[in-house]
Amino acid sequence: MSATRIVGTSVVRVDGLAKVTGAAQYVDDIDFGPALLHAVVVASPHAHARIKKIRTSGAEKSPGVVRVVTGKDFPYTFGLYMQDRYIFAQDRVRFVGEQVAAVIAETPEAALRAAQLIRVDYEPLPAVLNLGDALKKDAVVLHPDLGSYQKVPWFFPRAGTNIAHWRKTRKGDVEQGFREADFILEDTYTVPRYAHCPIEPHAVTGLFDLSGRLTLWASSQSPFAQRNVMATALKPFGLTHRDIRILTPFVGGGFGGKAGVSMEIIAAVLAIAMKGRPVKLNWTREQEFMNTSQRQGVIARVKMGVKNSGQITALEHTLHWDAGASAEYGANVVNAVGLSATGPYRVPNVKIDSVCVYTNMPPCGAYRGFGYSEFHFGLESHMTRIARAIGLDPVEFRRINAIREGDTLAYGAHMNPGDLRGAIDRVSTEIRWGRKGKARTAGKAVGKGIACFWKAPAMPPNASSAAYLKFNEDGSLNLSVSGMEIGQGFMTVMAQVAAEVLTVPVEKIRVETPDTDRNPYEWQTVGSHVTWGCGNAVRSAAEEVKAKLLATVARAKRLKAADLYLDAECVKSRKDPKLSLPFRDFVIDGIMRPNGNFIGGPIHGTGLYMPEFTSALGDPETSQGGHPNVHYTVGCAGVEIEVDLETGKLRVRKAVLAVDAGKAINPELVKGQIVGGIVQGLATALYEDIRYSPEGRLLNPNFTDYKIPTALDCPAEIVPIILETAQPDGPFGARGVGEHTMVACAPMVADAIEDAVGIRLNTMPLTAEKIALALRGIDYDAVKGDQLGFCFRGRPCDYPFDVAGQ
Amino acid sequence: MKEIVIHVNGESRRVAVAPNETLLDVLRGRLGIKTPKEGCGRGDCGACTVLLDGQVVRSCLILAIEVDGQSVTTLEGVGQDSPTALQKAFLANNSFQCGFCAPGVILSAAALLKDKPRPTEHEVREALAGNLCRCTGYESIVATVLAVSKQKAARKPAAPRKSVPRRSRS
Amino acid sequence: MSIACEFEYAKPSRLAEALRALGRRVPGGAVPLAGGTDLVAWLRDGVVAPGALIDLKGIDDLRGIRKKGNRLWIGACTPFAEIMESPLVRRAAPILVEAAGMVASVGVRNRATIGGNLCSAVPCCDSGPALLTYGATLHMATARGTKSIAAGRWFLGPRKTALGKGGILAGISIPMARHAGAFAKLKRYRGEDLAQASVAVRVDARHHWQVAYGSVAPTPIRGPRVERLLKGVKSPDAALLEKAAAVAEQEVAPITDIRGSAAYRRLMVGVMLKRAIRLAARRAAGRGPDYGLNILEEDLP
Repeated sequence: MSATRIVGTSVVRVDGLAKVTGAAQYVDDIDFGPALLHAVVVASPHAHARIKKIRTSGAEKSPGVVRVVTGKDFPYTFGLYMQDRYIFAQDRVRFVGEQVAAVIAETPEAALRAAQLIRVDYEPLPAVLNLGDALKKDAVVLHPDLGSYQKVPWFFPRAGTNIAHWRKTRKGDVEQGFREADFILEDTYTVPRYAHCPIEPHAVTGLFDLSGRLTLWASSQSPFAQRNVMATALKPFGLTHRDIRILTPFVGGGFGGKAGVSMEIIAAVLAIAMKGRPVKLNWTREQEFMNTSQRQGVIARVKMGVKNSGQITALEHTLHWDAGASAEYGANVVNAVGLSATGPYRVPNVKIDSVCVYTNMPPCGAYRGFGYSEFHFGLESHMTRIARAIGLDPVEFRRINAIREGDTLAYGAHMNPGDLRGAIDRVSTEIRWGRKGKARTAGKAVGKGIACFWKAPAMPPNASSAAYLKFNEDGSLNLSVSGMEIGQGFMTVMAQVAAEVLTVPVEKIRVETPDTDRNPYEWQTVGSHVTWGCGNAVRSAAEEVKAKLLATVARAKRLKAADLYLDAECVKSRKDPKLSLPFRDFVIDGIMRPNGNFIGGPIHGTGLYMPEFTSALGDPETSQGGHPNVHYTVGCAGVEIEVDLETGKLRVRKAVLAVDAGKAINPELVKGQIVGGIVQGLATALYEDIRYSPEGRLLNPNFTDYKIPTALDCPAEIVPIILETAQPDGPFGARGVGEHTMVACAPMVADAIEDAVGIRLNTMPLTAEKIALALRGIDYDAVKGDQLGFCFRGRPCDYPFDVAGQ
Repeated sequence: MKEIVIHVNGESRRVAVAPNETLLDVLRGRLGIKTPKEGCGRGDCGACTVLLDGQVVRSCLILAIEVDGQSVTTLEGVGQDSPTALQKAFLANNSFQCGFCAPGVILSAAALLKDKPRPTEHEVREALAGNLCRCTGYESIVATVLAVSKQKAARKPAAPRKSVPRRSRS
Repeated sequence: MSIACEFEYAKPSRLAEALRALGRRVPGGAVPLAGGTDLVAWLRDGVVAPGALIDLKGIDDLRGIRKKGNRLWIGACTPFAEIMESPLVRRAAPILVEAAGMVASVGVRNRATIGGNLCSAVPCCDSGPALLTYGATLHMATARGTKSIAAGRWFLGPRKTALGKGGILAGISIPMARHAGAFAKLKRYRGEDLAQASVAVRVDARHHWQVAYGSVAPTPIRGPRVERLLKGVKSPDAALLEKAAAVAEQEVAPITDIRGSAAYRRLMVGVMLKRAIRLAARRAAGRGPDYGLNILEEDLP
C-alpha cells in the first residue's frame, strides 16, 4: 500500500465539537411541539401465561388519556432473520416484561397513571426456564407455529420443538482425530446472559402523518434494516418502504442492542394508532434491561484432542444457547458461532453443534461480539488447560496452532490475511510472559493469562453499503451514508477515507446522520463491518468524484485527464506546474471558457459496496460449501492480575491487547475501541452479574445492582497494540475491530486466576465472591441461592447435551 | 402549580411547576435545556448531572420546586463564548465516543478542578466515578483531566495533545 | 421519567412550622424531604405515595456541624459531602468521615443527608455502624417537644425507626473523646455500590473496643461478643484477631440476596474486622494513615 496522508493519522473526530459543547442531539432532545403524545407500555409479570382478559376501561377514562391499545389492535409478528416476535403479545406472554398493552396520553404522568389502571387477567402456564427441560421430548413448546415462520434459508428450525435453529459444522472426521490424539480434554463451561447498558436507553418518536407517511426518529444502529423489518410487518396497514422514513441522530451507545428491531416497532404502531400526532416512546432503564435484547446465555462442552507435540487433532464443540422468547436475531448469533467455534486455530477435524433454544426469558439478539465472547470463554480456557496438561507453554501452544492466511476454515472457505502469531508475540512480550510477577503486599497473589481471539462479521451474503458525496460552494463536502455513529468514530473514519482520495481536509467534510429518505443504503452498523464495507463504498464514491473533478477540468481546459491530479483541494497538472484550480472555484459553478460558456456544474458521486464473494449456501448438515463470512480479524490479549487471598478481590495490573486492524485509519480511535472493549470485557468477567428469580423475573434491572464499570474500575495499565496486515479488499487495507476487543477478556482472566491461586473457574462471572469462596473450598453454586444467570440450573457436568437429539 | 425562578446558566428562568416534576424534566421539557440526559432515573448513571450552586448533583433525584431561587449550570452554560481549556482538551484527545455521558463528565471534571486544581489521579477517578461511560473505558477522559490540571498549574496555554500517553501505575 | 403520584410541597423555615405541617392529616400522609436521594427514587418507583412533602432544607437549625459542650453536633440535614470535609468531624468522629466517603458518589453525597440515611434505615445504611460505635445520640423534634434516643435503639427493623409519626430527626450528637477507629465497606467493585457488608471499629483511650456491623442483619448492630474479647487489649495480635473474626462470623445474621451469599458476607465480616482492628490500632498509636480509605481495595501504606 502506498503512503497515505490522512488515512493512518489520528485526526480529531468530526463529531467531537458537537459532543464537548453539548450540541450533539439525541432522539429525546428533539422537540415535537405541543401535539406530542406520550406512551407507556404495560408489561407482563409472568414468564409464561395465557392472557385471559385485559380490562382497559379504567385507563381509558383516566384524565389525559387519548387511546389504549392491546395486542388485538396489532396481531402481527416481525423479525430480522425470522418472524417470530410479536409487536404486542397475543393470546399469551412469553417473558416477564413482554409488552401487553400501551397507553397514549397527553403527558407522561397521565400515561403512567393510566397504565397502572390496566387490569390483565393471566392464567400462568408452566414456564420453560431450564435448557435441559426445553429440549426434552415432552417439553412445553413455546412456538407451536415454528414450522411456518418466514425466515432466511440458512436457518434450520425444528418444528414441534423449542429449537429455533441448529447450525452444524462438520469438517474431516472427529472420531479419527480423537484416535490420533495423544491427549484429550473434555469439559463444560457456562456463560450467563449479559445486558448492553448503553447510557442512552432506547427512544423513539413516531409520526403517522395525515398523508399516511410514517416517520420515526429512533436511537438506532440500523435504520434501513428497521425500515425493512417494519415494511414487512406493517404490510397489513398498507405500508411499504416508501411510506416509512427513519431518521437517526446521534446515538448514545448501541453495542448491538440498537441493531435490529425491538421496541421501535411498538412506537411505530402507536404512531399509526394516532394518525396526525407524534407519539413518544422512551424506554426506562428497567425496560432497557428487560425488554430490548440481551446477550444469550450458553452452556458449552469442549472436547479437544492434541498430540504431545502440540498440534490440535480434533475439536468437538457443542453449545446450547438460551435465546429467550424470540430468536429472530439471536439465532444468527448461534449460527455465527456454529461456523467459527474453532477459534483462530488450525483444526483439521471439527464437529460443531450450535443449538438455539427458545425459553421464557427476554429475547436475545446482537451484543458486541455476537457469540464470540461467549464461546471464547470455554475454548480459550480449554486451550490453556490442555497446554498445561501436556506440559506445553500456553503461548507456545497457541503459536503452534495459530491460523494462517490460506488455511481451510471449518466450513471449507479460506482464511484471509492476519498476523495472529505476530499478535501473540507482541502480547507475550509486553506482558512479560514466563516471568512471574511479584505481589506488592502480603496476602496477595499475582497471575498472568493470555488468550487469542478472532471474529468475522455475521451478515447475510448481501449486506451492502452505499455512499453519496456532494460538494458545496466553499469546497466542502457532504458525505451521505447510513452507517451509524454509535461512538466508535464511524463518521470520522469515513471522512478520512474521502479526505484521502480527494485531498479535502477532514474538517471540511460533513458526514450526515442517517435518513432513509435522503441517505443511501446501509444494511446495519453491526459486525464491526462498516469501516470496511461502508468505507469501500465511500472510497468508491470519492473515486467517482475525483474522476469528475479531473474530467471537468480536462474538458473545460481541453487537457488530458491522465495528466491531472488532486492536491491540497486543487486540480493540478503534471505537465503544467502553473495549473492549479481550487475546487471551490468550480465544484458548483463550473469552469468558464474564454467564450463565456460554463463547463461542468455541481460535482457529486456515488459509491456502492456489495461483498459479491459471499454466500450462505453451505450444506445444512456440514456447513461446507458456502462462504458465509467475509473475513476474520485476529488478535491476542493478555492480562496480569493481583488477587487478594482473603477477599477474592481482583485487581488488573496490566491488560495488553494486540489486534490486526489491517490498516488503522485513525489509530487513536482504534485504541479507543481497544481500551473501551477491554474495560467492558473485563466487566463481564468480574462483576456484571445478571440475576433472575426462579420464576424468570429479572431481579437487577438497574445500575444499583447490575454493575457496569466506573472510572475507579479500570486496569492500572492498558497497552493497546495495532498490527497492520492489509485486508486486500478493505479501504486502504482496513478491517474492523470494534467487537473483537472484548472477546478474549473473560478467558484470559480465568487463566490468570488459575495462575495466581490455582483455581480454575469454568462458569462466569468470575466474581470476588466466587474466588473467595473457592479459596476456602466452598462451592459457590452450593451457597448462592436459587437465582439464575440464564436458563440453566444444576451442575454443568450434569447437563445432558444429547437431550437435543441429533 | 407554583411559579419558581431558576437561574439557569446565568439567565433567570421563570416556570410554573408541579411538585412532582423533577429538575431534569423541567430543564429538558420546559426550559429547552437538553444536555442533562435521562439515563436511569435513579441517580446511578450521572447522565443527568448539573451543577447546583456550583455543586455536582443528580438532577433526576431533585424536584424542580426544591431549587426555587438557586442557580443551575449545565453544559450549555460552559464555554459559551469559546470552549474552555477542558473542552478543547477533550476534543483534541478524542476523549468521548458516543458523547452521551459527556455533559455530565465535563461538569463533574470542571467542578473538581475548581475545587482541587491539582488533583491526584485517584481524586480524578473518584470525582468521575458517578458518571458512567459505557464506551471509552475512561482512560482518555482521566488522562485529559489530569493533563489540563497540570497545564493550568504550569500556566501554559492549553496545548492540545495528539496522543494519549500510556498510563503509569497509580 | 416522571413521577406519577401527585403531592403538595411546603418548605417551612422553622422547625415548629415543619412539625405542624407533618402533623397535618392529609390523604397519603405528609413526609419529610431532605436530600431526596432515596425519597425521589421511591416516588418515581411508586414505592411511596405521600400526600405532601415537607422540605426541611430551609430550616437552619437542622443543618450544620458544631461543638455543643463536649459533644459533636451534626444537624440531620447535613449532606455527607459536608461531613466528609469538616475538620471538626475529622477530629471528633473520623470513623464517620471514613464512612461518609464510601457513600455512593460525589453527586449523591452533595445532597444525601445523614438524617435521611438514618431515617431510611435500610439494612445497608452506611452511617449506622459508625454511629453505633460512637454511642451516638439521635435527637428528635416532635409536636410534644424534643426526645433523645441512643443510636443503638434507633433502628427497629428494615426501614423502621424509633422516629414516631410526625417527628423530625433534628440531629446527632457524639461524645468527644480520644479514640481511633476504622470503617470497612464490602462492595462488588470499586465504583459506587451499596454495602454487601460493613464493619466499624472504634478503640478508646482505655483500649475498650466498640464494634458494629452493617448489612449483615435486619439493622446495623453492635458486636458485643467481639467487644468483650478485645476489651483492654491495646494491639490485638494475630491469634486474637483470628479468634475475633471467628466470633464476629457468629455474631452476624446475613442473608443471601442478589448482592451476595450469606456465606460470603459472613466470611468477609471476619476479614473486614481483622483489617479494621489492625488499622484502628495503628491509628491509635499515631502510626495510621489518614481516615478516608477504602480499606478493602486500597493498599494500606
